[in-house]
Amino acid sequence: MKTPRRLLTAATLVAATALALAACAAPADTDTDQPDGEQSESLVIDKSFDLVTADPARMFETTGNIVLHAVYDSLLTFADGDATEPLPSVASEWSVNDDATEYTFTIRDGITFSDGTPLTAEDVVFSLNRVKNVQGNGSFLMSGLSVTSPDESTVVITSETANTAVPAIVTSPTLGIVNSALVSENGGTDAEDAAETDTAEEFLNTTSAGSGPYMLETFDTTTETVLVANPEYWGEAPVYDRVVLRNATAEAQLMDIQSGTADIALDLGSDQINGLGGDVVIDTAQAPTMFFFFLNANPEVSEITSSPDFREAVRYGIDFDAMLELAGEGAERAYGIIPSSYLGALGADSAVERDVERAQAAVERLGGDVTVELEYASDFSSNGLSMGPFAERIAAQLAEVGITVNLAPGPIATTLESYRAGTEEMGLWLWNPDYPDSADYLAFGPGGIVGERAGWTAGMAPEIEAVMEEVRSEIDPAAREPLYQEFQELSNEAGVIVPLFQPAASVVSTSAVGEVAYDPVFSLDIAAIGR
Amino acid sequence: MALFIAKRLGAALLLVVGTILVAFVLTAVLPGDAATARLGEQAAANPEIVEAMRRQMGLDRPLYEQFFIYLGGLFRGDLGDSVQTTRPVLTDLMLFGPASAELALSATLIAVVVGGGLGIVAALRANTAVDNVLRAFSLGGVSIPIFWFALIATSIFATRLQWFPSSGRLDAGEIPPPRVTGFYTIDSLLAGDLPLFFQAVDHLILPAIVLSAPMVGLLMRFTRASVLDVLGQEYIRAAEAKGLSPRSVVFGHVLRGALVPVITVVGTAFASLLAGTVLVEQIFAWPGIGSYAYRAASTLDLSAIVGVTIFVALIYIFVNLITDILYGIIDPRIRRA
Repeated sequence: MKTPRRLLTAATLVAATALALAACAAPADTDTDQPDGEQSESLVIDKSFDLVTADPARMFETTGNIVLHAVYDSLLTFADGDATEPLPSVASEWSVNDDATEYTFTIRDGITFSDGTPLTAEDVVFSLNRVKNVQGNGSFLMSGLSVTSPDESTVVITSETANTAVPAIVTSPTLGIVNSALVSENGGTDAEDAAETDTAEEFLNTTSAGSGPYMLETFDTTTETVLVANPEYWGEAPVYDRVVLRNATAEAQLMDIQSGTADIALDLGSDQINGLGGDVVIDTAQAPTMFFFFLNANPEVSEITSSPDFREAVRYGIDFDAMLELAGEGAERAYGIIPSSYLGALGADSAVERDVERAQAAVERLGGDVTVELEYASDFSSNGLSMGPFAERIAAQLAEVGITVNLAPGPIATTLESYRAGTEEMGLWLWNPDYPDSADYLAFGPGGIVGERAGWTAGMAPEIEAVMEEVRSEIDPAAREPLYQEFQELSNEAGVIVPLFQPAASVVSTSAVGEVAYDPVFSLDIAAIGR
Repeated sequence: MALFIAKRLGAALLLVVGTILVAFVLTAVLPGDAATARLGEQAAANPEIVEAMRRQMGLDRPLYEQFFIYLGGLFRGDLGDSVQTTRPVLTDLMLFGPASAELALSATLIAVVVGGGLGIVAALRANTAVDNVLRAFSLGGVSIPIFWFALIATSIFATRLQWFPSSGRLDAGEIPPPRVTGFYTIDSLLAGDLPLFFQAVDHLILPAIVLSAPMVGLLMRFTRASVLDVLGQEYIRAAEAKGLSPRSVVFGHVLRGALVPVITVVGTAFASLLAGTVLVEQIFAWPGIGSYAYRAASTLDLSAIVGVTIFVALIYIFVNLITDILYGIIDPRIRRA
């Protein structure tokens, strides 16, 4: 067939032009030319967002913690990566009565909110009561607590029962102090019906009302959230005037760090970090996240997992060090349910060594050939680790001692529901601390939140429950330590909850920014970067 | 012609209503409780808080009541609020829709120009070395896994060569142009901000090229086949015999005849593009409907799921409608059928 040559040229030209246009539109030097010095101080942080709200009273997420810790001050705080001793912040000093039911805080002089209003005890009372009454995710922090202010510079927190965790609890960004006048003007209330009547969330998602080192410039839960330094800040001014937190997957973070688009990446796993070049600084620490699995102790849920013989078979049938290999570099085996940096954490001397024969013998006592189901969330990952490989390894290890484990992966929305309903025969989950204190881990005891989900109800283990009762009211930390250890030793022996490991958490930063430390409480302390 | 369009519109409207019903029922029977999915471990263990959340989300009412409340809202343009963003779903769609549309339309544009252009070349050079190379190229485009292509493209062009940014619609912390269309490329031009325009284009190129790959391949093959088909027709020979110049033969007769099947392909390919955007938006951190839908599904954000479903259905229906109408214009036989 005859084809005019000119036509071919024309058509080819069209295609070529299109490609050339595409190439021209991209200037080869994509160095972002800063129009002025304004932006040169911008620090870009990549984080995989789980951001929901910028209203402290409603916030209870990891990313929200990072953002709001920089925007709102709390009564006390933690700093420099030390999670053992709460430090003064809005409260310059504090004291506790003999039975740990009454805490008195002295409010620091000279703190003003970012709009210049002075911060008083009244703001503290309003903020804490609002958290309690809005009934959001973090409202349990205030359960059993009431707050009053006898005068303008004193706040008293009273607990119905002995509560040694109050100082750790009040460091939470959820209990950040808001400008009560400003928030009230914009629909906020600390009244008892706040769950129905408080409408300040929309306002707080656009304007911050805090006294912290930063203020919100823009807040978006899906793309990026921008912070600017608060000129009214009472403490040491932060190094970076403007901080951009961008929502990015771990894969995108790797690209961004390599191309210099981002200064800091928070979600890179150890494999990704190993492939990075030389001009980055890496800080790796153990995250306080606890991976664990449980064997349901409720006979109505499972005849098998509720039997002590089965628990013994699992206790000696699991090879914990082999689990750790899967968790990557920097992860740490858990000898008890309380994370390593907390009071009363168990050490390697409490480790159980694998004993296949003993486990097999226990399975024999059960009549041999047992089959159980292990449920886990397949669409969920934390610290770059997903649950699947661990579930598979548990199944493989238990197969060696004669236990058949059927894996039951499911989307988190559905598995979470059966986990919370206490209907899982075996469940593989993780736990992030609600506040940095060992008391939070009593949730794993009989009758505790996680205990209940594992069918381990109050009254099933009187010996353990007595220890739990004792440690709750012991105000001397030195005396609390052995009690927490005993609680864990007894729990390990009971074998309902099986702690696995704490994953590594890494903060990767470019060499221009320098080392940025992982913060065991807030994940990242934005105001401390560059100091 | 008017009757033809009216018929098509009527069918489209029925489809929309059906979609809303199906989407709503599907989300209602989804396993998982949307109220507790929002709550943390401690809060979910507190019946009072769970109850307050259910009330707040309207989940304490019977399903049929929820449906009518939802329909009533729809008529007022209210799609409910997204749990994820705490904004009205409609606002979210207005925000993320244009981002995806900008990406999808850019990809379509690339596909039409490159795929169409190369398809014509391949047809006119049928069975030569040029044709064979182009056919291999189109096969590659169709069969390349988009996820893999995206990762390779970012690692080469964004990370190593640093020609293009690897994520987002603008550089970090950049203020978007004043909103008119929601397309940053257009809005920045309207605002007269050239540097911002180039920045927006810069961010658009890589994801658009990646997204267009399968469509380029598909369009090349179809255009080639279609042009070859037309070239063999009687009326083209007649035109050539009349002594018309080759250019007017090709542009006046051949392309017009070859256009009908190509339009169909653009229509269906555009629809399949929507599936591709979910992946591409995830990788390029492109804040569009794709990543919004992904997040909504993983957090049981019911209003958002239904909202996105309706939105996507509307786009499908609209694109099909346009395709049908264009047919009718190009080929009179279709509208008389």
